[in-house]
Amino acid sequence: MTVSLAPVATDANSSTEKPALVIRNYSLSYRTDNGLVSALKNIDLTIGKGQTVGLVGESGSGKSSMAWSVMRYLPPNAVETGGAIRLAGEEMLDFSPRQMADIRGSRMSMVFQDPSTSLNPTIRIGEQIAEVLMRHRGLTKIEAYAYAEAALARTGITRPKEMLGRYPHEASGGEKQRVVIATAFACEPELIIFDEPTTALDILTARQILDLFNQLREETNVSALYISHDLGLVSRVVDEVSVIHKGVIVESGPVQDVFRRPKADYTRQLIGAVPNPDRWIGVDAPAVPETLVKLDDVGVRYGAPTKLQKLFWPKDSETTGFWGAKGVNIDIRKGELLGVVGESGSGKSTIAKVLAGLQDFEGRLEFAGKTFANRKDIDRAYRRRVQLVFQHPDASLNPRQRIGTIIGRPLKLYGVVPADKVAARVAELLEMVRLPADYAKRYPHQLSGGEKQRVAIARAFAAEPDLVICDEVTAALDVSVQAAVAELLVKLQKDTGTACVFITHDLNLIRQLAHRIAVMHHGKLVDFFDRPDARSDDRDAYTKALLDAVPVPEAAIA
Amino acid sequence: MSWGYLIRRLLAIILVLVIVTFAVFAITAILPGNAAIMILGEYATPDAVAALQKQLHLDQPWYMQYYSWVSGILLHGDFGMSLRLSLPVTQVVGEAFLNSALLAVTALVAVTIIAIPLGALAALKRGTAVDLIIGLFSYLGTALPEFVTATLLLVFLAAPNTGPFPAGGFVAPWEDLGGFASHIVLPAVTLGLILLAHVSRQVRSEMSEVLSSDYVRAARLKGLSERRVIRRHALPNSLAPAVAVISLDIGYLLGGIIVVEEIFAWPGLGRVLMYALENRDLPVIQAVTLLLAGIYAVSNLVSDIVIALLDPRVRYA
Repeated sequence: MTVSLAPVATDANSSTEKPALVIRNYSLSYRTDNGLVSALKNIDLTIGKGQTVGLVGESGSGKSSMAWSVMRYLPPNAVETGGAIRLAGEEMLDFSPRQMADIRGSRMSMVFQDPSTSLNPTIRIGEQIAEVLMRHRGLTKIEAYAYAEAALARTGITRPKEMLGRYPHEASGGEKQRVVIATAFACEPELIIFDEPTTALDILTARQILDLFNQLREETNVSALYISHDLGLVSRVVDEVSVIHKGVIVESGPVQDVFRRPKADYTRQLIGAVPNPDRWIGVDAPAVPETLVKLDDVGVRYGAPTKLQKLFWPKDSETTGFWGAKGVNIDIRKGELLGVVGESGSGKSTIAKVLAGLQDFEGRLEFAGKTFANRKDIDRAYRRRVQLVFQHPDASLNPRQRIGTIIGRPLKLYGVVPADKVAARVAELLEMVRLPADYAKRYPHQLSGGEKQRVAIARAFAAEPDLVICDEVTAALDVSVQAAVAELLVKLQKDTGTACVFITHDLNLIRQLAHRIAVMHHGKLVDFFDRPDARSDDRDAYTKALLDAVPVPEAAIA
Repeated sequence: MSWGYLIRRLLAIILVLVIVTFAVFAITAILPGNAAIMILGEYATPDAVAALQKQLHLDQPWYMQYYSWVSGILLHGDFGMSLRLSLPVTQVVGEAFLNSALLAVTALVAVTIIAIPLGALAALKRGTAVDLIIGLFSYLGTALPEFVTATLLLVFLAAPNTGPFPAGGFVAPWEDLGGFASHIVLPAVTLGLILLAHVSRQVRSEMSEVLSSDYVRAARLKGLSERRVIRRHALPNSLAPAVAVISLDIGYLLGGIIVVEEIFAWPGLGRVLMYALENRDLPVIQAVTLLLAGIYAVSNLVSDIVIALLDPRVRYA
């Protein structure tokens, strides 16, 4: 690999102990149809021995490119335009692919974002750990399996021997991430790169993985690069942090300093956007609470027995299928923002689907004096007055329709405005969500993620509904965009008086927005309380566990 | 995959075969013309026709005919007598089936052995000249119908006196293995060329996807050798769709075999079926059709079992 190396002054203390990783003046570009596109510019980063350095940035900031550069695993169109990356003083840019293959997995390893995709689905877990040991340590199969068992035990897997014989789909998300971590630690590497290792996990599982990370760090004295978009989380696990924006490190330093006294504008902006549970930004609730929608003993059973099954196997009909939600009683008041929180599979999206009239249910749904006992009873008037915004605007906006058509649909469908006024109303709605009126002519793919979600929100509000259900609408967005979308939603509520059900797994965010919060767990409503009571003693144990599991940013505590 | 699943699948196959017997029986019964007249010729006397009808039980109601046909198969393994050859159908069809099976299995095994590495190679060399050539070659194989490929092969490789292969005919492998081998090359290549592209393209697209998956990236970042990454992590996960395609292709193969056997004078099921259709030899048509349906159903089951062995996630579904 021929890369022009910038002269680098050796550190004064390098004679005693070389830092685990040193990146100096490193730049990277990608060759595209539009010429060279710069991804990383003059990066400087040092990870001392036993130190954990955080790399924080939003999507497209270059933080993943950084990880691939360090692992020397770049796509063919990558062009390195200078600099140095040194592992314990050795220049990795000079290493041959064969030398790199010897280093990967042994001296330097990686923990990935999603354990369900980073493990091979057709190979037993034992072999996936043992193969690294056999490759780098030259262990025999029997030795490698014994070692793998010990490595799994160290990550807190209770029955490591049994786990070795399982396939990935037979393990839970948390267990799979423990397997990935055990594999990364197996050869006792000098450096481990953690690429958003908790993002794909549930709140409580993420917390356990974080605790495991801290425990292993202390036990092994490994050096780590911790990549994340989550400032609150990073502030809890790293010693030093670098903030990266558009391929440039805008600020570095000890984590306390960076979060309490940010110097760069971008860092300040990023910290400001992190949801702070103690900073309330919601609308004032109506003085006199008035019920808009009421769910009375609502249940949803997925895989419910068919008529044929009931006829032939009546005994089984109670046990087949599983309850996505059971015995849920919730009332939604006019003009309020009701938060629904829970982990994946808790039933929160099931409730959203029932409210939107998309899911068959048992029990009763009351709306404005009318009672529906069945999804098929739900009429068009109801559908107009209850609108839904989905998590992924990419999937919910028709890619072949222009924005104007998408927002105009409900206007025409429900006859909200006369046909000749539709275009004008679309322009007004776009302005309401702070988008230029000429976006009406564009297609969804020409918009950014945040802009697309604004369009989805405008489409929901176009029908002039009484209730808007937001199902994880900010989950796919960057922190700063997420804050803007949340603020937009609050503003729209203020302007229109529409009630909102906000479904999320982000407890910090919901405590900023909601009047009341419902907590769901395994399909049941386990807790329902007013926002100020979130920390009161009579909260359900599960609610407490959730709240304790979420890292609150350093800056918020200070 | 449980025993219950296997039993359900076997029952389904039996159900399919029952429906096929009805269809086969109905079609031959509905066909215009009368088997007795067909056999005796259009100048036969009414008395002779009536006598033959009685002998063939054609004077009985259809359900009686169906019953005696099915019970003959089930109780005695007897498909009746060929109308034209005066031989038991089992004897006519049995030998032909064996010959066809030799040809089909040879073609299928050759395709599997060649197409899977070819597809994997194309995926690994994606976008290069190697990929392009493999793609071009296999598309050509699919685009050309059997009779064109067969003609080309005959012209270039089986010219009288100079060609290395015989132009047609059959030698049983237990009589002369070398003779069998030289006779089977051209028909097997003709059959295989068509399927080569199906299988290799399927392996290529699946392998490309697997190669860009997170777990293959993870395997590479563990420092595993490229050889292990491909052979242990990527290739086994790319085969399931190819197996599904091969099993669907067996249907295609059964069609192709009729043409190929005719061209290369291979005494198999295809030739028997052609002969039976031309001569309206009903018991033979019925037996061959039932046999083909059975092969197709069983090969689908086998492919599902192989897929389950390749992917543990399917085993428990």
